[in-house]
Amino acid sequence: MSKPPHAPPLVETAGVEKIYAAGSKVAALKGVDLSIARGEFTALAGPSGSGKSTLLNLIGTLDQPTKGTVSYEGRVVSGLSVDSLSDFRLRSLGFVFQSYNLIPVLTAAENVEYPLVLQDVEPGERRRLALDALRLVGLEHFGARRPDLLSGGQQQRVAVARAIVHRPSLVLADEPTANLDSKTGGHLLDLMEELNKEHGITFLFSSHDSAVLERARRVVRLQDGELTADEVRPDRI
Amino acid sequence: MLRLAWRNVWRNRRRSLINVAAMGFGLAAIMFGQSMMRSLQFQLIEKATGSFTGHVRIERRDVDELKFPDKFMTDPEPAASLLAADPRVLVWGRRIHLTGLVSSANMSLGALICAVEPDKERLITNMASYLKEGRYLEPGTKGIVMGRKIAGRLDVRVGEKVVLMAQAADGSMGAEAFRLVGIHETGSESFDGQMVWIPLSAMQELLGRPGQANELAARLKNIEQADAAAADLDAKLGPGNIGAMSWKKIDKEIIGIQAFQDGLLTIVLIVVFIIVALGILNTQLMSLFERVREFGVLMAMGARPRWIVRLLIVESALLGLVGTAFGLAVGSALIGHFGRCGLALPVGDAFKYFMPFPSVIFLRPSWGMHSFACATVFLVTLLATLPPALRAGRLKPSEALRHV
Repeated sequence: MSKPPHAPPLVETAGVEKIYAAGSKVAALKGVDLSIARGEFTALAGPSGSGKSTLLNLIGTLDQPTKGTVSYEGRVVSGLSVDSLSDFRLRSLGFVFQSYNLIPVLTAAENVEYPLVLQDVEPGERRRLALDALRLVGLEHFGARRPDLLSGGQQQRVAVARAIVHRPSLVLADEPTANLDSKTGGHLLDLMEELNKEHGITFLFSSHDSAVLERARRVVRLQDGELTADEVRPDRI
Repeated sequence: MLRLAWRNVWRNRRRSLINVAAMGFGLAAIMFGQSMMRSLQFQLIEKATGSFTGHVRIERRDVDELKFPDKFMTDPEPAASLLAADPRVLVWGRRIHLTGLVSSANMSLGALICAVEPDKERLITNMASYLKEGRYLEPGTKGIVMGRKIAGRLDVRVGEKVVLMAQAADGSMGAEAFRLVGIHETGSESFDGQMVWIPLSAMQELLGRPGQANELAARLKNIEQADAAAADLDAKLGPGNIGAMSWKKIDKEIIGIQAFQDGLLTIVLIVVFIIVALGILNTQLMSLFERVREFGVLMAMGARPRWIVRLLIVESALLGLVGTAFGLAVGSALIGHFGRCGLALPVGDAFKYFMPFPSVIFLRPSWGMHSFACATVFLVTLLATLPPALRAGRLKPSEALRHV
């Protein structure tokens, strides 16, 4: 089936600026234009302070741009109310954080279930979907464990399961392998790539690790808040 | 949410236990204080009405002192028939209270003479229960009962005679010999050192006032009905010189003590509530600062700010429920223990001067007040959570996620 002509990108930033005004004004992003299509496996690259996390936060609607817009499938979301943004994130986005950020008092399965709890999914269905997601990340036998009984790699895989359990259109991952050793980080990237290829989940992740960036099919480079390069790697597609 | 909230409550077990203990012991202390005050007041009222005042009295409105009416009702029968017809009245009796002189072979002393209908008075007051020697009064006899102290000062023993003198209706001094039939010991200076009890008929004869009385005292089936019964009787008696009043109007000092104690208790309660509130506020603020990043994660997952606020309130409610249940258990156990064993209080000795009063208070639960205290502790817990909860609700997800 061919795509309809002029189908809007999944996510698009237009002239996005972010200025932090703590003490003196610091421009974290300076007019970034970026389009991400459905199904992409894209990395945001750049050194610390280049604006990767800020851009991910803006795309993830966790923060508001000082200027410019963020749109999803042609709909501007950057000016929505706090509640509308929460609902949007709940339905459309998944997040994976550098330090896993699992809720320590919940088991792995309960952590994965949580987006579904917020969506008021019926408990039985919730549990089934959570176990499916854990199976996808290879942790179906670890559902009853609390995060402190899981290794860093396992915790991050639970975080990935939590990010995909509600079938979001985009998963944002901020330095997902930064706290993992290279082997475990490699496994995590294998998993993310598999979810992207097999299940069509769009991934946008940030990293400054060249080994990680090697795995992306598209690398968007940022430097001092500006987009400096946008490389598509046909060899990785 | 409930599951997450419950686990969050016990995330820092030691801190939560300290909070539960603070809440619980605070509530138990409140319940104990409430029970102690109410039990003290209950015993005070029981002793005041049960040893002298009665629940409702009918007497002349123009008396100088309501407690010891010095003026006579020349025809108390219409009022008596009202008491007899009132279904709330358990028992009633005619009385004469008058100051007079009681003399033995050795000495004469001033005394408060209480002339009563013995059969009825046994049920109106409990003076008969304080008898230590001899027997109680019998109607139509010339017997006299008096306290151990006055008997000692007069140097009389059961079976010996004394002479009572009081001013008769015609202004002359009436005098009559009475045989000491009983000696009571109430422990009260006033009762044991100043009061003597004789049958009403003998007093009427002594004073030359047949059929007269200066008060009608009634004991009700339920003391709570005293005000209503007195008001009804008073209305029925009409605007004349004879009126009905409840014990509250006569024993005003008890109402004053009660108001003072209630005021004191209220201040103590407010202080305890503030301590509980500050404890919870502190816990929730610490919990908030520890979990800012986690709230950021929840918000990133799509939790609305008010969901976060609700989560913190539910956590607090659970903590409040546990603390309240613990406090209720400790408070009930304390009240139960001191209800069985009694609590020795020096305040009993202070009251003893005025009336027979035990120095041991037997605590009884006051569930209405305890429920109020439980509800208030619980409510205070919720209110103390609001500032940190609202603060958490105002967090920006990106800032919360950066929180270290």
